[in-house]
Amino acid sequence: MTKSKIANVLKYVFLFVAAMISIFPLVWMFISATNTSGDVLGGRLLPGTNLLVNFRALTARADIGQALWNSLRNALVATVASLVVCSIAGYGFEVYHDRGKDFLMRVLLLSMMIPFAAIMIPLFMMVGQLNLLSTTTAFVLPTVSTAFLIFLFRQSARYFPRDIIESSRLDGLSELGIFLRMYIPVMRSTYATAGIITFMAAWNNYLWPLIIMQSEESRTMPLLLSNLVAGYVTDYGLLMLAISISVLPTIVIFLLLQRSFAEGIVLSVK
Amino acid sequence: MRRSQVKVLLCVLMLSLLTSSAAFANQTVTVWAWDPAFNLYAMEEAAKIYAEINPDVTINIVETPWDDIQTRLTTAVMAGQTGTLPDIMLIQDNALMKNVIDFPHVFADLTDSGIDFSQFADFKVSLTSVDGRNYAVPFDNGAAINALRVDVLHEAGYELEDFKDITWSEYIEMGKDILAKTGKPLHSIVAESPDLIMAGLQSAGTWMFDENGDVFIANNDVLKEVIEVYVELVNTGIMVQVNDWEQYITSFNRGTVAGTINGCWIIGSIVLPEEQKGLWGVTNMPRLERSPNATNYSSQGGSSWTVRADSPNKDAAIDFLAHTFAGSVELYETILPSSGALATYLPAGDSAAYSIPHEFFGGQAIYAEITDYASRVPQVKYGVYNYEARDAIGVAIAQVLAGRDIDSALMEAEETVRFLMEF
Repeated sequence: MTKSKIANVLKYVFLFVAAMISIFPLVWMFISATNTSGDVLGGRLLPGTNLLVNFRALTARADIGQALWNSLRNALVATVASLVVCSIAGYGFEVYHDRGKDFLMRVLLLSMMIPFAAIMIPLFMMVGQLNLLSTTTAFVLPTVSTAFLIFLFRQSARYFPRDIIESSRLDGLSELGIFLRMYIPVMRSTYATAGIITFMAAWNNYLWPLIIMQSEESRTMPLLLSNLVAGYVTDYGLLMLAISISVLPTIVIFLLLQRSFAEGIVLSVK
Repeated sequence: MRRSQVKVLLCVLMLSLLTSSAAFANQTVTVWAWDPAFNLYAMEEAAKIYAEINPDVTINIVETPWDDIQTRLTTAVMAGQTGTLPDIMLIQDNALMKNVIDFPHVFADLTDSGIDFSQFADFKVSLTSVDGRNYAVPFDNGAAINALRVDVLHEAGYELEDFKDITWSEYIEMGKDILAKTGKPLHSIVAESPDLIMAGLQSAGTWMFDENGDVFIANNDVLKEVIEVYVELVNTGIMVQVNDWEQYITSFNRGTVAGTINGCWIIGSIVLPEEQKGLWGVTNMPRLERSPNATNYSSQGGSSWTVRADSPNKDAAIDFLAHTFAGSVELYETILPSSGALATYLPAGDSAAYSIPHEFFGGQAIYAEITDYASRVPQVKYGVYNYEARDAIGVAIAQVLAGRDIDSALMEAEETVRFLMEF
């Protein structure tokens, strides 16, 4: 065997082990969803026959359909709204830039350093005074415009050829037309990246919905999961099933858009 | 009496009856609590009982974990939006005093509300009152129990009775023997968790703060003795340290240890493995020897119902609690069999439901026994900085087990708590 072959084998062994380590918790979670609570605690690694029992117990324990719908609705509205607002802002900051806008962009970037917990209380005051508690609007408003997404779109716009903008203007296309018909089709991968990031953040968001989603009917999946571990006795089979269900949408969306996601990241950090 | 006077009197009487029942007409009392098998179930049953007394009041129960209640409470108070809080909140006893003192305008003073607090276990009333005023209706019982596998004890030649009213030295002696004969440690504990230390402290009527609220850690002889016992339990292998709560539950569910010492709510986890039915027994926890007020009784965990002071439904909420958790033996009888939710409402302890033998515990009438324990738990005040002190003690235990002397570890713990109090 030549040296390079040995190196190849070692490389694949290493990659296989690393892949196993990273995928194991996920696989174990899906397996545990089919086992009883006692088996999960006992560390059973083989699939069991308790999936239906766990499912029945879960649906009896909580309205998982409502929570899934709430999470999906909130995450989709938040994603669409923030893609529209942030892409226009990012495009504007780059294409129409001047000193004032560059300064504003720097201020925006500084805002990324402020943790959410620090602005949570004033945001809650605003939402409370507007009587928006337990509504999708309250969930979406703070995430509509984020410095990170604006930055992502601004960086992508930097690689959008200026010649296209110039020639489109000469051909009589309006500024909005250029954005809609020239910029968006070219920047599909950036939209995919931003979409995945925003959707996952909104789907997994815990602290903000915890504060504002106070009614039973407005509860999202992370809040429902938190309820499942709050008692004196926890059913781990049921819990693992609920977590498995809650990660499925993000896995599906990531798998569908993973190629564009990788392209978008590469484009933005060039 | 003249007929006209009688008429007037009747009118006044009817009017007063009308106003008292109409006072809560069409009100909705919202409740935040956690655990559907325990607290929420109890609340639902209470709502059913109250529906017969006052059908115009709706009880809206929203499942909310304790940590989430604390986060929402803090955020609402900081944002000046206490109106977003529910009418009734279940609060952990460990955190109750801190919340009442930090947010005094949030919790209704229930002292003169008509609720008879003398009907509850003294230790629980002490935990739910600040400066002699009552701020919560006591609920679940956290009386400490020593639950043991009687079959393992028999294997080593012991009876459950041998563990009743004993000292920690006797516990350790028997534990060594049982470990040698059966290979099973007596109980397990989550590493660095201060729960057992706290139970030991309360069993001797002492806490980490003195009556003035000052830190009482460094020169606390009771605390020192409890830590010495803890270290000996670990070093002799009688008590196994595990990494987390799941491993703790597994250790007695799988029979790798012969028992557990905890608040009586742990029964809900003990009874999970069907095959262990009839093999368990319950007795009181061991007591300290050097400490002057040492008893075999303590408490661990537990929670109580508070009412929001500025709620428009405050009176309805108080009336609801007064007729149910603070006035209905029937409620406690109903919730006991399926939830194991033991009352600190003393009249409930005399009810027949509490004397029913428990099959899982070999026919022992454990509920009556635990209610008796609860009435003997020494009173302490957990204080405002309870959680900070608990954490500092957790760190001190780890240091002592790693070889540091107890005095200097406790001195450092005291300094840490003092620093946090001044911060």
